[in-house]
Amino acid sequence: MNDTRFVTPLGNDGMYILDTAAWRIVRPVMDKEKCINCGVCMGYCPVNSIYAEGKEIRISYDYCKGCGICAAECPKQAIHMEQEVK
Amino acid sequence: MSYIDVLKQTQNVMTPGSSACQGCGGELILRRVMQIAGNNSVFAVPPGCMAGAGVDGWNFSNGCTAPIHITLLDNTASFMSGVSEMYQRKGRQDVNIVAIAGDGATADCGFQSLSGAAERGTKMLYVCYDNEGYMNTGYQRSSTTSLGSSTSTTPAGAAINGKEQQQKYVPLIMAMHNIEYCATASPSNMADLVAKIQKGLEASKRGFAYLHVFSPCPTGWKFAPDQSIAVARKAVAANLCPIWECDKGVFKLTPNRRPITIAEFVAGIGKFKKLTEEEIASIQSLVDERWALLEKLAAE
Repeated sequence: MNDTRFVTPLGNDGMYILDTAAWRIVRPVMDKEKCINCGVCMGYCPVNSIYAEGKEIRISYDYCKGCGICAAECPKQAIHMEQEVK
Repeated sequence: MSYIDVLKQTQNVMTPGSSACQGCGGELILRRVMQIAGNNSVFAVPPGCMAGAGVDGWNFSNGCTAPIHITLLDNTASFMSGVSEMYQRKGRQDVNIVAIAGDGATADCGFQSLSGAAERGTKMLYVCYDNEGYMNTGYQRSSTTSLGSSTSTTPAGAAINGKEQQQKYVPLIMAMHNIEYCATASPSNMADLVAKIQKGLEASKRGFAYLHVFSPCPTGWKFAPDQSIAVARKAVAANLCPIWECDKGVFKLTPNRRPITIAEFVAGIGKFKKLTEEEIASIQSLVDERWALLEKLAAE
């Protein structure tokens, strides 16, 4: 409900949203030492799971489908895909 | 202001959790168009992948926070003509009228209404995400499908070797309607795409604006989802999707600095697996002719 990244309230009090995070087989992991916060991954993310908090770029795993576009397109190879552990 | 700052400052209009496939180019385009148009907009999304993924809210699982209509496959542009006219008469010129349709609803079924709205100069922005087929129903061929593509209605086999006809080039047809703004874009060049969406929205206040965006489809074209943007980039480099804009009749062609051949583009894409040498040469001559024509148009 207090999630302010999205325009509608989500979860029990708001809209029910399809849990696309459950589709994920591999998850993107960002190496903050290599990352230069350029935002290229944010521009290419089809589900808008990469967001900016101030100047910093972060990955949200709430709805990430694990497509791997961010890892493939990162100019600094700062994102790699890791097997999802159940 | 760079495009990254634009994206940082805009809000999500489409809710998360859409059921589009992993690495969907259409969803990427839809989200960018919606977040740049903002909440003071009326959207229309005809049946197709994006409507099927639930952006119109029919599945009660997700939706969007601006008014949105699921029109019919063939009347998107005429439907929005009426909506646009109503907003003009009410004195609400600030509202963005945006239609986002696939290539089937643009080039095939919806072409008559689209052509009519363009000719009337309706004040709206029409965005076509061209994934070269009817992907929502399992990849049937459309008129923008490339030659030799193996689709469910033109399967490559003993009788035929994929689609037998060349693709129809819709953006130039739209530019010849003398509309306010017409452009092509690719998600691989996000800065250009964002700038063109902004320009298109601005032009939609004066007349009809059309944006044709190349949209790779990992599921239908059979390639890995993480290669979506790479495939779009290769399509631009191979001149299959030349980047140009036509602003009030003045053509501007973005130069292709590192051109590649069609043979390099089709490598690794499943739908082109059985392409013969002649077919590759045929597509190559089509894109070469198209590029030469665009160069001539831009030179004037």
